[in-house]
Amino acid sequence: MFAKDKGGGAAGAGGPQPPTGAARMGSSEDDNGLVTKALAGDRNAFGVLVERYAAQARRVAWAVLGDPDDADDAAQDGFLSALVKLAQYDTRRPFGPWLMRIVANAATDRRRRRNVRQAEPLNPALVGGGPRPDAVAIRNELNARLRTALSELPERRRTAVVLFDVEGYSHAEIAGILGIPEGTVRSEVFHARRRLRTLLADWKEQAR
Amino acid sequence: MKDSQAFDHRPDPELGAALRAALEPKDDQQAFAARVMAQYERALDRATVPTLDVLASWFRPGIAAAAVALLAGFLIGRAVLTPAAASIDAAMAPLEGPGLAALVTAQDPPDASVVFASLVDQR
Repeated sequence: MFAKDKGGGAAGAGGPQPPTGAARMGSSEDDNGLVTKALAGDRNAFGVLVERYAAQARRVAWAVLGDPDDADDAAQDGFLSALVKLAQYDTRRPFGPWLMRIVANAATDRRRRRNVRQAEPLNPALVGGGPRPDAVAIRNELNARLRTALSELPERRRTAVVLFDVEGYSHAEIAGILGIPEGTVRSEVFHARRRLRTLLADWKEQAR
Repeated sequence: MKDSQAFDHRPDPELGAALRAALEPKDDQQAFAARVMAQYERALDRATVPTLDVLASWFRPGIAAAAVALLAGFLIGRAVLTPAAASIDAAMAPLEGPGLAALVTAQDPPDASVVFASLVDQR
């Protein structure tokens, strides 16, 4: 599904998400077919869309908000808002960017309303207070560092890099999702990568 | 991972995978999807009922506003049109001499001196 939508821009582990849950088990129907059914009142069709995009929506909301619990609330708001606005969706365009725009807006609204905290607090169970020998702990420490680094980036920058490098959207699609010029998206991705790649390189150096 | 100083228009698989792992939600997607779908009917209800409420609440003020606009339009229109009609009557009214009405309705073309005299009379 996504591979077709992305125009070959994404590849490998950083590429588009495969369908999950019910989408993986039962439905290979394309997004437009599911939208049409959902518009006709098919609850299950909308459920497949939710499962298909749940992981992506939650990550994007997390990128905007910097907090996983708020992110889930925002992603839920986004899906329900999309349900209400489904008749406005132009089926000639890919569904993902349209949905992600709604999710990103829902997350931004939530951040404004609640004035959420600046940085995600680190979970001591994940960081562990020092290096531990097992690979899981090392991986968890990297994840915590990356989340902290992301939370220190400006909201638009971290959202842009997650949409580009994690979700596999093109610069043009991200420009549409965030409502900013394409050149600004390129710049935001560039600056975010510079910071995150430095962190990754340092971590690799320490892990040796 | 690529050179951090270089601009690249392609996604970075290594960075993408690391970020994806870092942002992976704790619980599975089906639990989240169930949570969303539990709000399905309520969301649809919220989307339709308030629209009718809003329309109903605007009905009476809308009628009143339309009536006020109609009355104002009538009064303004009357104020604008009435002086214009009076000025046409005045222009067509016979003054001293043959007057403008006689000039307009005459069978033969008037002499230039008559036209000039008529204009002078009007002033």
